[in-house]
Amino acid sequence: MAEEMDVDREADKETSSKPEKMFTLKKWNLVAMWSWDVECDTCAICRVQVMDACLRCQSENKQDDCVVVWGDCNHSFHNCCMSLWVKQNNRCPLCQQEWVVQRIGK
Amino acid sequence: MSRGGQNPHGLKQIELDQIWDDLKSGIRSVYRRQSMTRQRYMELYTHVYNYCTSVHGQGQGAGMTGQSMQRAGARNKQRQATGGAQFVGHELYKRMKEFLKTYLINLLKDGQDLLDEQVLQFYTRQWEDYQFSSKVLDGICAYLNRHWVRRECDEGTKGIYYIYSLALTTWRECLFRPLNKQVTNAVLKLIEKERNGETINTRLVSGVINCYVELGLNEDDPNAKGPTLGVYKDHFETPFLDDTERYYTRESTEFLRQNPVTEYMKKAEMRLKEEQKRVQTYLHESTQDSLAKVCERVLIEKHLEIFHFEFQNLLDTDKNDDLGRMYMLVSRIVDGLGELKTLLETHIFTQGQAAIERCGEAALNDPKVYVQTILDVHKKYNALVITAFVNDAGFVAALDKACGRFINNNAVTKLVNNTSKSPELLARYCDLLLKKSSKNPEEAELEDTLNQVMIVFKYIEDKDVFQKFYSKMLAKRLVQHMSASDDAEASMISKLKQACGFEYTSKLQRMFQDIGVSKDLNEQFRKHLQESAGEPLDIDFCIQVLSSGSWPFQQSCGFTLPVELERSFQRFTTFYSGRHSGRKLNWLYHMSKGEIVTHCFKNRYTLQASTFQMAVLLMFNNCDTLSVQQLADGTQLKMDMLTQVLQILLKSKLLVCPDGEDDLQATSKMSLFFGYKNKKLRVNINVPMKTEVKQEQESTHKHIEEDRKLLIQAAIVRIMKMRKQLKHQQLLGEVLNQLSARFKPRVPIIKKCIDILIEKEYLERVDGQKDTYSYLA
Repeated sequence: MAEEMDVDREADKETSSKPEKMFTLKKWNLVAMWSWDVECDTCAICRVQVMDACLRCQSENKQDDCVVVWGDCNHSFHNCCMSLWVKQNNRCPLCQQEWVVQRIGK
Repeated sequence: MSRGGQNPHGLKQIELDQIWDDLKSGIRSVYRRQSMTRQRYMELYTHVYNYCTSVHGQGQGAGMTGQSMQRAGARNKQRQATGGAQFVGHELYKRMKEFLKTYLINLLKDGQDLLDEQVLQFYTRQWEDYQFSSKVLDGICAYLNRHWVRRECDEGTKGIYYIYSLALTTWRECLFRPLNKQVTNAVLKLIEKERNGETINTRLVSGVINCYVELGLNEDDPNAKGPTLGVYKDHFETPFLDDTERYYTRESTEFLRQNPVTEYMKKAEMRLKEEQKRVQTYLHESTQDSLAKVCERVLIEKHLEIFHFEFQNLLDTDKNDDLGRMYMLVSRIVDGLGELKTLLETHIFTQGQAAIERCGEAALNDPKVYVQTILDVHKKYNALVITAFVNDAGFVAALDKACGRFINNNAVTKLVNNTSKSPELLARYCDLLLKKSSKNPEEAELEDTLNQVMIVFKYIEDKDVFQKFYSKMLAKRLVQHMSASDDAEASMISKLKQACGFEYTSKLQRMFQDIGVSKDLNEQFRKHLQESAGEPLDIDFCIQVLSSGSWPFQQSCGFTLPVELERSFQRFTTFYSGRHSGRKLNWLYHMSKGEIVTHCFKNRYTLQASTFQMAVLLMFNNCDTLSVQQLADGTQLKMDMLTQVLQILLKSKLLVCPDGEDDLQATSKMSLFFGYKNKKLRVNINVPMKTEVKQEQESTHKHIEEDRKLLIQAAIVRIMKMRKQLKHQQLLGEVLNQLSARFKPRVPIIKKCIDILIEKEYLERVDGQKDTYSYLA
């Protein structure tokens, strides 16, 4: 019943202003997948994929805070893994350049 | 110590003969059960006391035999050592003994020719009287007991008893020994009468039993408390048990010949109860166990084969009460239940197989039928195990084993030749339950059904297959907003987590979280649009950003967005990169969908369409007819994908093509069909594409194989890291054991994985030993 009434109303509108287009968009539900913009999928320090939290964060249940860090050399690691690493050796574990943070993922 | 005419208590020296006559007449009246005044009793007591306290000097020794003289000599030494106290009483004791003997020998004359009930009447009555009188006598002789007898006993003289015990041994000598065969036989006859259903005077039996128990004196320590039951065991229990065995052997064989086994079981149950009660009412409690054992052996164990045969019949006819009865009976036999368990397991297995076979192909395509069939079988036999077999661990195990077998291997899995069909169907059933539909059950009912699902899940061997399918379907439900209830989803995930651990559900949980994050993101985006300058979006836009790695989606294929969608797309990307950094987005157009409104047909329809369908239809805004090639150029979709999109549009009669939907060429002309009609105004044309469905299933199974290899390798490394060195067979065993909660790895695959690990230098073969591996750190 309700549907039929809708038909009538919509038919009225149609006669009043005929749109030039045959199809118009009403709704769009888009799906996207995000990933860190990295060259290598695994963190060279802890050997876990950067999309997953590092083991330390997994065990402490802090998965959401475990982000990725990029150096000037464009190599990337888990931020928490790297911050431990630089305490001992302020060089990129992959290319031995001095470690300078380029950006931190968010 | 003075040895004069008076002892220290001022009593006269008294010879036994002086008092014996009076004492004897007193005792005689005790044994005649004549009433006795307190004074008389005191008089008798005083006689004994006087005698025992008088000092006889040589008098005592004079009455002794040569042998006892020696003993007395030895004793004298001791007496001197302990201060020379003297105890008198041996003569009196001897006379007492003589008296009792004479009394009983006379008594026996009255009883020795009696039989059956009469002998029992006689024996029990006399015994009760005698026992009572002897207790009185014991009281009269208390002084003798306390001093002379005690002293003798302490010195270890054999054959000297307290007066009451003396009375008992004398009874045993003089009355029990000649009469016990008659008496026992009479008792057994009486019991048999009762077994035959007659009412008997149980007091006769219990009287005899009491007597036999009382007579069991401890020979080594005559004064020790409590009987040893020797007499009872030897003269009653043993013949009684023999008799019982004979009786029931005959009865059970006879009964079984004329009656069905179910009736026999009732009878046996009754008999066992009766015998138990028999012990309680008139036998000694120590007989309980041995009697039960005899009865069980004769009534049950001997007929075990018949029972086993009948068990199958009872299962076939669902006679649960009788099954329970049989369980109760057979459980009394040590190791008796083994065969029943095996029979039950086989039965449940065949029943399960048959039930699924009856559903036939319906079950293959209808997960609900399949799971429900399994659950029905499980429910039926679970109830049986709980009620009839009182949840006996062995029977629970049999049920579990049988269910595990038929759930993983049955007509349906054979039909597709794939054991992972069961987990797939179970996951599909979950999808049916959790997906929005008009038939969604109430929340409480749903929770209950999910619990049922977990019952079946427990038995699934390939839990990893279930996980794969479940996560696929969960992903779809979440992305397409098709979940019936968030609570139900969360509850199911937590059930799986409980059953298989954190790792098993971590991805499912992450997916669930992503949806929450996306909800917030949409909210923020909407706010951002309102606050920022610029025109609002012309369409209702909604986005889901999922984290890669957790979702079982394939990458999207090549595609160009139609201009109409570009603005929303741009606005969102700008917004997103403002909020996050270091992230890249991949667009899953094949998962995206929308609604499009038509203006070219008689009615204004709202079409629910995939993004690809939308792109194709939007191209017709400029032109009524387009070639397939033009459409391909416009959308940048690959030809095979485009063909499938077009086929669905042709099928739903939105487009027409003179070439027919099955052989579309690049040159085929597609035109809008202006006569499009549909009963509904909202039409869902977004039906899954054929190849999509098929591809998905295939890839799922392929992924499973790949994942399994990784899991096996991980297990091998874990094991070898711990053990350092291991033989091939042991390694296989441990791997199988470790992974059994997830799936059943095939041995050839494990071997392959070992080879891979050797190649990767995680392991090496030990030199000189063919089948031993060692771990390389």
